[in-house]
Amino acid sequence: MDALFDFLFKYRPLAFEQGEFIFAAPASVRLWLGAVGLVAASAVATYTIARGRSTVTDRSIMAALRVALLGVLVFCLMQPTLVLSTVVPQQNFVGVLIDDSRSMGLENEDGTVRSDFVAEAFTPDTGTLIDALAERFVLRFFRFSDVAGRIESLDELSYRGTGTDIAGALDVAREELAGVPLSGLVVVSDGADNDDRPLAESLVPLQAAGVPVFTVGVGDELIEPDVELGRVELPRAVLEGSTIMVDLVVTQSGFGQRSVPIVVEDDQRILAEETVELGPDGQPVVARVAFQLESSGSRRIDFSIATQPGERVDRNNRRSAWVEVRGESDKILYFEGEPRFELKYMRRAVHGDENLQLVILQRTAESKFYRLALSDSTELQFGFPTTREDLYRYRGLVIGSVEASFFTHDQLQMIADFASERGGGLLFLGGHNAFAEGGWAGTPVEEVMPVILGEPNGGTQGFFAEVKAQPTLAGLAHPIVQLDAELDRVEARWDSLPPITIVNRLVETRPGATSLLNGAVTGGGADQVLLAFQRYGRGKSVALTTQDTWLWQMHADVALEDMSHESFWQQMLRWLVDGVPDPVSVSTDQERVEPGETVRLLSSVSDSTFIDVNDASVTARVTSPSGIVDELPVEWTVERDGEYAVELRPAELGDYEIEIVAERAGAPLGTAHTYLHAAPSDEEFYNAGRRTSLLRRIADETGGQFYTPETSATLPEDITISGAGVTLVEEHDLWDMPGLFLLLLLLMGAEWGFRRLRGLV
Amino acid sequence: MRRFSTACIVSVCAALTLGITACGSPDRESERLEVSDADSPGSTGGARVDPARAAGLLTQEAPPAVGRPVTGGEIGPRMNPDEPSGRWPFYWTRAVYSSSGRGWYGGRGGGSWATDYPKGDRQFLIVLKRLVRLNAYDWENAVSLADPDIRRFPIIYAVEVGRMNMTREEVDGLRSYLDAGGFLIVDDFWGSREWAQFEANMRAVFPDRPIRDLPLDHELFSAFYDIDEILQVPNINNGASGYRTHERDGYTPYVKGIEDDEGRLMVVVNWNTDLGDAWEWAESPYYPLMYSTFAYEMGANMIVYGMSH
Repeated sequence: MDALFDFLFKYRPLAFEQGEFIFAAPASVRLWLGAVGLVAASAVATYTIARGRSTVTDRSIMAALRVALLGVLVFCLMQPTLVLSTVVPQQNFVGVLIDDSRSMGLENEDGTVRSDFVAEAFTPDTGTLIDALAERFVLRFFRFSDVAGRIESLDELSYRGTGTDIAGALDVAREELAGVPLSGLVVVSDGADNDDRPLAESLVPLQAAGVPVFTVGVGDELIEPDVELGRVELPRAVLEGSTIMVDLVVTQSGFGQRSVPIVVEDDQRILAEETVELGPDGQPVVARVAFQLESSGSRRIDFSIATQPGERVDRNNRRSAWVEVRGESDKILYFEGEPRFELKYMRRAVHGDENLQLVILQRTAESKFYRLALSDSTELQFGFPTTREDLYRYRGLVIGSVEASFFTHDQLQMIADFASERGGGLLFLGGHNAFAEGGWAGTPVEEVMPVILGEPNGGTQGFFAEVKAQPTLAGLAHPIVQLDAELDRVEARWDSLPPITIVNRLVETRPGATSLLNGAVTGGGADQVLLAFQRYGRGKSVALTTQDTWLWQMHADVALEDMSHESFWQQMLRWLVDGVPDPVSVSTDQERVEPGETVRLLSSVSDSTFIDVNDASVTARVTSPSGIVDELPVEWTVERDGEYAVELRPAELGDYEIEIVAERAGAPLGTAHTYLHAAPSDEEFYNAGRRTSLLRRIADETGGQFYTPETSATLPEDITISGAGVTLVEEHDLWDMPGLFLLLLLLMGAEWGFRRLRGLV
Repeated sequence: MRRFSTACIVSVCAALTLGITACGSPDRESERLEVSDADSPGSTGGARVDPARAAGLLTQEAPPAVGRPVTGGEIGPRMNPDEPSGRWPFYWTRAVYSSSGRGWYGGRGGGSWATDYPKGDRQFLIVLKRLVRLNAYDWENAVSLADPDIRRFPIIYAVEVGRMNMTREEVDGLRSYLDAGGFLIVDDFWGSREWAQFEANMRAVFPDRPIRDLPLDHELFSAFYDIDEILQVPNINNGASGYRTHERDGYTPYVKGIEDDEGRLMVVVNWNTDLGDAWEWAESPYYPLMYSTFAYEMGANMIVYGMSH
């Protein structure tokens, strides 16, 4: 199509896009031409009223053809001109950015390798593009992967980069060539960018500077047949023995819909296996796997799909993720307003869980409390905590059937802040003195609850209903609700449990809260909210509106060996304290880096009441895989209260252990631990098809063009007329366009042919 | 001499406010029950059961489940038989079991399980609720050990177990009840012969679990009140007469227990003592207050312990 356009109009469409169309004839000439044109038009007009054998229509048509013909002539006489800014040869620079990442080593369907184009196009003396470019421009070559830099020759390319950061490469090239007249940048890449840096931030300066980017996309857009395992996310830390549920995204092309097994391993020990039914080509499917982690420490979990016969890329069938398995015991305070069997059976359910310490404060009479599972005899000796320091020692807080008026206003505010400021997990149980029936409406705690409180319903003669627990869709994906190791049996397990009872009418969750269990009322009626949660501030709150989950243990229909009640409470309480922060915490902006890559260590430091501290003395003790210990000061970032940061650059492969020690005025604030994993990445092999849309976007937004290797021959000329850099204004005549000549012939022939047809000749 | 505790004062007040109208005579009460004389276990004229013959007697049929009293009646609300239990967090529940020999009510029905029933239960609840912040159903609740519904009541109370003669269904029911996490309080049986009868029945339930003495530093004795001495609580007649506190050869009171694999008490055994009578007759001016005080303290401790362990 471009070739036809080029033939008819002398120049390619890009030239007309870049250039300016004018009429070059002087004004006086144009005036004379205009007058001649008018006279000629008048003569033609009288012709139309002449008599003869022709009809009015005939004469009108012929007159129109003659006018058109005259118009073309006048157009030519007006000296149509295309004004182009073309670069002055050898006065301008062009940056050539070559993708040096691992994905450039992938094979195409025709057996060639992506990087072959680079050799074909840019090898000195033999390259198809380099000579044409070098004639016009001074070339500067860059290579880029996760980092970018100048190269002097193609020999410096290795195609071993473990990431692709096109935006970063554009920034480096722009900055390096900022002081010279730049006609454009050429990017040769498959476009498989896997950096999180936003591209727009790099394109805007180029747009402002008027530097077009010409992109050449290499590689197949679609790699098939191939099965790819999507990114896996694990929590950073879990308690020992916790069940983790992970959603794995699997995409296939070219294999059709078949089943493939996914294996989950920890140090080559199989934790779980799941079979996933692949979807149609290109359509991702989600497979959910659940597994337990028993050994404490930093664990690398591997997820893999076996290589399928004929698969083109198998390095994207495997993912690894790290999780820190904590062996500590998390403290939860359970405050119950009266002796209740729910407390007894909850204790029994989590009794064997060494990672949970359920501290009990039970009101047995007015001003009389029963304390159980204490760390020492002074704990809670004065009843429910009256200071934040005392309350925030716990990571979870369970409020049973106790009326709000038991607490002072400060304590109520503390309970609300326990979730919002401390980041703790807050659980509310149902009962005669819970929710609206306990007067919690209108207190600071009300909005923390994930359910909307109705009107209180009046004691033991009020609302009472028997309900059957039913998991919601969200509940089936939640670890609390997983009563069976086989995910497809979870619903059946819940269905087998006996009904329980509620005395608090709660039918609505708060906006933003998630319902995990509904209570289907025996005998009909609106479903009750049985289990719901919401994120609140830094923490979370949960409402379990029944008063007797213990029936799932004691009921005659439940077999003695059935562990549903135990599983439910262990999972509930573990999830309640999952992710609850400590006064001092530490994290890295990446959990895995390449040796030599910089990683940022971030630490949050607060005091025992979880108020951020900005004047702490913070030290990071980094132990390398070989045992070398380094101590680094960690400075306050100033950007955020309580936030401290330092950069690390691991040199060795393996796991780094990092300990943060924070103190203020000689008094310790706390410590925190994390791990950093220095390991090579296979990210280049995921989603590695050519990203035409990305490359086209870069070109379009900067005024450049997108090419494939097949269409790249016009690249040098297109840069020439881009108008960027030191340019020369050229005027190109258009009156001699073959298209105009053909048009003249066409009009003349049309008139003659019409006359013949009408018998007027 | 025992100190005057809160339990003491409250028990006196509660007993006085009770009045006789709160409880009828034993004969009137037994007429309200649904169990007929014809259905009660066969009487042996008061003869004691030889433990050696205990195994053979376990094949007897269980009495029908007593369930709950019908709606209506003279005194207060009763549970709606059409409604599942659970409206109240706590029900003071009598364990109904098969027994040999005549019951306290002189053969009018009920068996030994019904000793002091229901007056003792109601009276106990009244005072218990004043001592402990307990949201309890105010009335008696009797359920057979063979009834699966007993699993809805995690604490049960059995008296006069010296005449206990459980059927196979009751043995299995009690075993599964305790294994699931239930808590049994045993009271009011005296002497070596009754001990042997009770022990034989418990051996059928748990052949391998010993019945141990509970030391005074056991958590049970500090769950609500601090109890530092075990008193022998006499029956109403002995208590009122002041002559003696023991019955038969039960000279020394014991509090024993059976534990589960985790060391939690499943069964509390009050032997050579009669807490139930002390609960029932606290309002009698002839019955020494010290015994009722101790009985209520033990009762409160057992309830609080049983609801938290």
